[in-house]
Parts: sequence; structure tokens; C-alpha cells
Amino acid sequence: MDYDVLVIGSGIGGMESSIKLGDMGYKVLLVEKEASVGGRMILLSKVFPTLDCASCISGPKMSSTINHPNITTKTYSEVMGIERASDGAFRATVKEKSTFVDWAACTGCSDCQTACTVAVPDEFNSDLVARRAAYIAFPQAVPKKAVITRAGTSPCIDNCPAGIKAHGYVSLIRSGKFEEAFQLVLDATPLVGTLGRACYAPCESECTRGDLEATIPIRRLKRFAADRHYAEMDGPGIERPATNGKSVAIVGSGPAGLTAAWQLARLGYQVRIHEAEEQPGGFLRHALPAYRLPQAVVEQDIANVTALGVEIVTSSSVHDLEALRAEGYDAVLLATGTPRATALGVPGEEADGVLAGLDFLRQVRVSDAPDLAGKRVVVVGGGNVAMDTARTARRLGALEVRVAYRRGREEMPAHAAEVDDAEREGVSFEFLVAPVSVVSDPTGAVTGLRCQRMQLGQADSSGRRRPEPVAGSEFVIPCEAVFSAIGMAPDPTPFASLAGAESGSRIAVDPTTLQTEVPYLFAAGDVTSGATDITRAIGAGRRAAYMIDRWVQGRELGHFPALDDLLGVVDKAEVLARQKSHTRREPITADTVLSPAPEDFGELEPPMTEAEALAGAGGCLDCGICSECQECVSACPADAIRFDKREVTSEITVGAVVVSTGYKLFAADLKPEYGYGTYANVITGMQMDRLLAPTRPFNTVLRPGDGKVPERIAYVSCTGSRDKTSGNPLCSKVCCMYSVKQNQLIMGALPLADVTMHYMDIRAAGKRYNEFYEQAKDMGAVYIKGRVAKITEKDNGDLILRYEDIENGGAIVEAEYDLVVLAVGIQPNHEVEKLFTGERLGLDEYFYVAEPDDDLQPGRTDIPGVFVAGTAAGVKDIVDSILHAGAAVAQVAAHLEHVNHDRATVAAEVLA
Amino acid sequence: MSTTLRDPREIIREEMVMQRPILRLLEEGPLTVPEIADKLGHPTDEVVFWVMGMRRYGHVVEVDDADDDGYFRYANAHQEVAS
Repeated sequence: MDYDVLVIGSGIGGMESSIKLGDMGYKVLLVEKEASVGGRMILLSKVFPTLDCASCISGPKMSSTINHPNITTKTYSEVMGIERASDGAFRATVKEKSTFVDWAACTGCSDCQTACTVAVPDEFNSDLVARRAAYIAFPQAVPKKAVITRAGTSPCIDNCPAGIKAHGYVSLIRSGKFEEAFQLVLDATPLVGTLGRACYAPCESECTRGDLEATIPIRRLKRFAADRHYAEMDGPGIERPATNGKSVAIVGSGPAGLTAAWQLARLGYQVRIHEAEEQPGGFLRHALPAYRLPQAVVEQDIANVTALGVEIVTSSSVHDLEALRAEGYDAVLLATGTPRATALGVPGEEADGVLAGLDFLRQVRVSDAPDLAGKRVVVVGGGNVAMDTARTARRLGALEVRVAYRRGREEMPAHAAEVDDAEREGVSFEFLVAPVSVVSDPTGAVTGLRCQRMQLGQADSSGRRRPEPVAGSEFVIPCEAVFSAIGMAPDPTPFASLAGAESGSRIAVDPTTLQTEVPYLFAAGDVTSGATDITRAIGAGRRAAYMIDRWVQGRELGHFPALDDLLGVVDKAEVLARQKSHTRREPITADTVLSPAPEDFGELEPPMTEAEALAGAGGCLDCGICSECQECVSACPADAIRFDKREVTSEITVGAVVVSTGYKLFAADLKPEYGYGTYANVITGMQMDRLLAPTRPFNTVLRPGDGKVPERIAYVSCTGSRDKTSGNPLCSKVCCMYSVKQNQLIMGALPLADVTMHYMDIRAAGKRYNEFYEQAKDMGAVYIKGRVAKITEKDNGDLILRYEDIENGGAIVEAEYDLVVLAVGIQPNHEVEKLFTGERLGLDEYFYVAEPDDDLQPGRTDIPGVFVAGTAAGVKDIVDSILHAGAAVAQVAAHLEHVNHDRATVAAEVLA
Repeated sequence: MSTTLRDPREIIREEMVMQRPILRLLEEGPLTVPEIADKLGHPTDEVVFWVMGMRRYGHVVEVDDADDDGYFRYANAHQEVAS
């Protein structure tokens, strides 16, 4: 037996049960779903009828609970299920939710919540004010420890192959923390400005806001952060780390190589990059046209890498990796990409005027561009390189640019936006055609491309329908230049001689570790996978750097946490369901001006203004709740934030169970005639209790509608109780008295305020309750008997109550107030119904936990060994909850002693 | 007053964007909620969420007692304000 008793819920009933059982010597496990013990009582202002401070009474009990030698408390935990074991005990499954904070280190200083960039409604203040995703439940929380609310991984982060925390930098930008946003991206890759322009933004394709009016402009926000940074400083803005005495050689300076170099340099490695071209950057510099990615941006990003001491040796082709290693490097990373263009493979392609698209783009970027003025150009292929080639040809004066693709538009691998933009720049398309031969004149110059029509057959291994020739359909497209952009492949020369390393033209790697068959050699990016995109190359570069470091340090390679150990992605439908309604926001789109006859390579997409950035970022729905912006990590003086912490589920065995799961408050918006949720100045009794509490959300009692100190305050009793129309015919017992309590407190806090309570009956049955009620009347509170029929709102936010004045002839009267408080009733907590499997916990006709013999055996349920304490069994005030918990404790003790006695008897009989 | 209140979660989420405009307004001197709302062009009930969230985390602070109309003035807590 792990514990004698499991107590579920740490409200006043749960705490009282636990303490008493612990005092008796029983070992108690107390499970509380919130991050602090205390339940609702700790959130109240004062208690009736003594007007004692609720915190002052609860605090010591909370402290006694958490520090009791016989009580083990698991806060922020849930009992997932309970079933009876064969020996009569109970087996419970307990989930300890992850707080993402090391509570042993957390000092409760609040720095994390002050730094946090995500605001959410504070459930501990009845949603009257914001808390942060990183939060301490309330000032008197026990234990006073921080929790980070994470619903999962935001879809934008989950869908980024580079593992960049898109939600995080969006959240930072909306908070005005532009440099922090840049640094968050920089933490993953030095190519911040590049990604802000040339990334195809898989984050945006999964953005939940896209299911409303339009995606958040995540990529452009990244560019905004980069532009801001580079406008203010050169380089990364971080200090060069101390060297660790190790060195790594990297072959290739594309996005994978540069990212790996950046990560390794930050770990203290001496890194040298060998680049075959005259300038570093790989495809970023040599293939992406300047209208998409200006050269200056690539150079700014590369300067981040060199600022950390990374040496880039250009015009340095590496053909012998073993010789490179022999120069003394601890490891070598191959990241040479896919520099080889796939040939057309048709007769005549050696003609003058036929060129690979990649070579054409490279020529334009680094040397003299070919003269295309007045020429007709055919680009063969349907990918992004084909689009770049076609649009570049337009800028070089080509008279006509036609893209020939063997499938249809829907099957094109190019991104739809690129295809659309190419079309808007005057590029035309020939779909369902394939080249047959290149036609040339006697001088060897191209005069046309012979093609044949295709039709789509069955789907091939890529899932796309296979193009099949249409017999007799050949035709010639007249042209003076043919650019082929039908594929790219790695150059296997550097690894061709290494046994086991080659896989076709690619290098073979373990997909998790990126280690090759040769232990010192790792490979990343397109050289391992074939042509992909920048984000995948960056993700591979990050992974390679992580694995190289672990290998060099002699540690197990394992997996890469930044990409392999994310929380599950948040369900977008659940995100949208958090709100009853969503206000449409005007999408922030780039006003890119495209010309049907483009003439230069100036950057097309305009930068975002600060106003656009804030408006764009402001639409983020905070899918994962925590944005992973890392501000709490930076702020925490105890280094206690643990994003890698995960929930723990355990099985425990107990001898008895006490259910003290409390109650639910009536949802006031279910009485629409009272306007809760529609009129800002209609609040609930619990909200008023928070406004009156010492830890109140406002500076005093104010109207939520405009922050005004109310002078005329009305209470409406029996909201959601004694009301069959709302499904609750029961009296909630506490509403009258908590209203009377609040009446008195308001008159103390706001001496000029008039307080009126509209009631059906005042139920003041309890020790000194009626005297308490009379005292309120003596203080000036007015009590009017009669049900309120309707509340309406005036333009200034004041409220008109329409009611029947029973004690004055039953007249229908209207009265005006500044603020209306709905004294909402208590309802059963249905979560209790899911606790038990195998046996059904009996409920009464009102769905409270049934006590079959509550006259003589209070606290006993219809499952032997399972007991109920407090309001889980029905409405009770605090005094009665404590008394009921005492009764339940006595029942538990009797049960345990009985069971122990039976076991002892059996044992004695066996021994005899 | 608005009879189509926006979802509180949506308003509260926007506090992060509204902090800087509100603090900029308060650099000129303390303002009441209706005054801030008027200058920002947002409903007062939304400004209450933002100002109270900012107050909670130390960005604004109330000065003086409520005025004759029952409104407190709030100041930028990051600058010294003469009450």
C-alpha cells in the first residue's frame, strides 16, 4: 500500500480531511489539479458571519497541509482513474502535469511572469484581469511556485523544419521586443534576414488564424525583426564565446553549413568552412534572384557567423575528406548541397543557347548575365528554380518567356505564389508538354524546342499523376534560348572514395544523428536528401551541430531535442473554441508591385512598417498559450525554467479514497435576461469577492465597463438556483449570506455607495447569520423582495433593473444602478463522474455524490472505502464543509481500522 | 456602451500590443480610463482590461483618489509623476 488514503481536491474540505487523517497517523496522498492548494476559499475576501480574512484562515491550513509529515501533496496533478484492486484496496492513476519549472529551484520571485509576453484571462481572478502564461497562481499560493501554461506546440512552430519558434518571435514583436525577436531566431540560425525573405513559410500554412480571415504574416515579421536589427548594428549582437579547444571543418557554406558553423561556434568550437565558389552562401547567393533575396542581406547574415570567429575559405574545393580530417579537425561536416543540374537528356541539348537554369542564375548573380534582349526563352520544369529562371529571364529583357511543364498547373512543385507572380510578370505556361529535342540552325544556335503533348495517367510513387505521351502530338516552340530546370543533384566527388558513404549521388546518413558510415564525418542538408528548401537545410544544420558536439564530447548521440522532442501540436479547433467569438482583423498583406515587364532586380516585397508589424503580430491566437519566446528563461534568476519537462503518470495503491472535488459555480450567461457577458457592468458574486479581496485585480471596487467607482450597486439573488428554468431547483444556501457579507464590505470600502439586494427569501439559518443580515440592514443596505425579470443597459453603461416589488403591492418597478452583481448559485462538479472505473460512484438526483445513509453515516458513499467530504456531496458553507470533512474523516478511520483488523485476524488465523 | 462585448480572451491577449501606446499616452500625464479610451479610440471596457493588466505587472499606477466622477487617474509607472 502506497498510502492509506487518497484525497482528491484541496479545498477546505480536502485540506481538513487530509490534516485530520494525517494527525491520526494515516499516510495521505492529496491530489490537487491547480498549482496551489486552497480551493476557492483562499480566493474569497472574507468569510461570513465573522468577517474574518479568508486568507488568514486558509493560509495556515494550506501551510499545515503542504508541510504535514504524513501528507504527500501533488499539486498541478489529476487523478485520471480509480479502480478497485483484488485485495480490496484501490489503484489510482495520477498524472502530474508538467509545470515546465523546476520547483526545487523556483523561489517564487515572479520575474518569469513579469517578463512573459503572453496574456490570458486569470481564472483565479474570475477572468476580470490578465495573468501571464508564466504565472504563480495567486500571491498566497502554497507552494508559491511558478507554472508555465502550455497547451502544446503551436502549429507554426510544429511545422517549421528548422525548429524556429515562430510563435515566440511573433509574441515578442507584438510586445515591442524587436531585438529579442531577432535574437530568438538567431538562436536557431544566423540566416534571419534571409529567412525573412526567401523562406516559403510552412509556419503560415498551419497558422490557426488562417482558418479565420488570413494567416499571421509570420515570415515578414521575421524580416521586420531582422531589418530592425541590421539597421542598428552589424553582426549578431552577442559576444564571441570562449573556445573549447576543439575544431570542426565544414564543407559547403549554404544554409546547412552556415547554420551548423554558427551553432558550433557558439559552443566554443573553432570552425573553418571550405567553399568551392568565390563567395560563400551556396544557393542563397548563387541561385536565389536578388529581387527575392538581396545580396546585402546574405552578407549581413553571413557576417553573424564570421563575427563568432568562423573562418570561411572560398574557392576551396574539397575532394578528399580523409585528408581534410587529417589536418587535425575533430569532426567534419559535409554540406555541399545539390550543385549539379539534371540534364534534359534529349537530342540537341549541346546547342548554343541551351543552359541549365541553375548555371544561368549563378551567372546572373556572380558574373555577366547573358544577353536575352529580344529573345524568346523556354524554361523546362515546374519547380521554384524554373520560376526563378523564368522571372530572371524576363528581367534580362527576354521578349517572351514560356515555361514548359509536363504535368498540369496543380501538379507543379513550385509554390503557387511563385507561379502566380511569374504569370503576373509576363511569363506564359505550356502545361502537359515534354521536350523531345532541341532544334538548332546550321551554326549550332537554338531555334526551337520540339515538344510533345502529354496526358495524365495513373499516380506515380510521388502521388502525382504520371504524364504519358500523346501519340502524334509533337510541335516546336520557337525560341533562341532553352533553360532546363528539371532537377538538381549532389556532387558525390568528395565522398565517392569513402566506403559505405555513398547512396547514389547522395551521401548516406543516419536520419536522426546525420552521422555517416565514417564516424568523424557528418552530413547535412540537400547532399543527404536531394533538393529540399532552406528551412530543412537549416534544421539539418542545427541537428548536425548538436550531434557533432555530442560525438566530439564522447556522449551518446541520441536524438535532437529541439526538433525531436516537441510537445504534441495543439488542435486548431480547440484553439478556436477557446473563444465564443473572434473579431475579424484586417489582414496585413505585402503591397508587392509586380510589373508585366520587370526591368531590374530590386527587391520586390516592401518592408513592414512598425504599425503593420504590431497589427500583424497582434492577431496571433497564442495557440500553444506559452509562445516559447524564452523571456522567462532569460529573466529567471534561479535558472528554473525547464521546457523539456514532461508530465509524469504513476500508479498508486491506497486503502481508501476521499472525494472532495467541490462544486461549480452557475454560468451566469445562461440567464441571458440578466446580461452577463453582454453588459460589462454585470458581474458575478465571485467576481465581486475578488474585487473586495486584499489581492484584488483592480485598485478598488470598480466597474469593469469603464473603471468608475460605482455608487449604486444592486445584487440579484438566486441567479441559477431555486430556478427550474436554469436546471437547478435547489437553494444554494450560501448566496444570501455571501451577498450580505459583500453588502457590508462594499459599504466599508465605498462609504458613499448605496447597496440594494433584490431577493426572493433571505435564508440566514446559521449561527449568528440572521444577526449578520440585520447588521447589514442597520448599515444601510436595502433589501427588496421580488424576482428581477430583466436587466437592460443604458448608453453610459448604467443598468436598469425591472422587477416586481412584492412588499409594496407587487408593482412592476424599474431602478437604475451603476453595477449589478449576480449572486450565482452552486452546482455539482461533474468531473467526479469520471473518476471510477469498474464501480460506479452513486450520485443523487441532483448529481451530487450520493450519501446513501447521510443521516447516520455522513461522508459514506455507495462504494465501500470511498468517502465524500464537503460540497462534492451538496451545497454547504465553509463551516458545514469543515464539519462534513470531519465526519468523513471519522468514516475513513473506521473503515481503515476495520480493514486492518480483518487483515490481522486473517493473519492470526493463518499463523495458528 | 457597447452591447457587443468582444470575447475577454481576445481583449486580454491584445494587452501586449496595447501596452506601448498606453504608456506613450501616459508620458504626457496621468489619465482616466475614459480619457485613455477616447485617445485610443477603443471601448472603455477593453481599456479597463489593459490598464488593470498593466497595473498588475507594474507598468501603470493609480495616482490620487477617484475624481468627482468616480474615476482614478493612472500614470506611467516607469516615469516619476507628480501627483
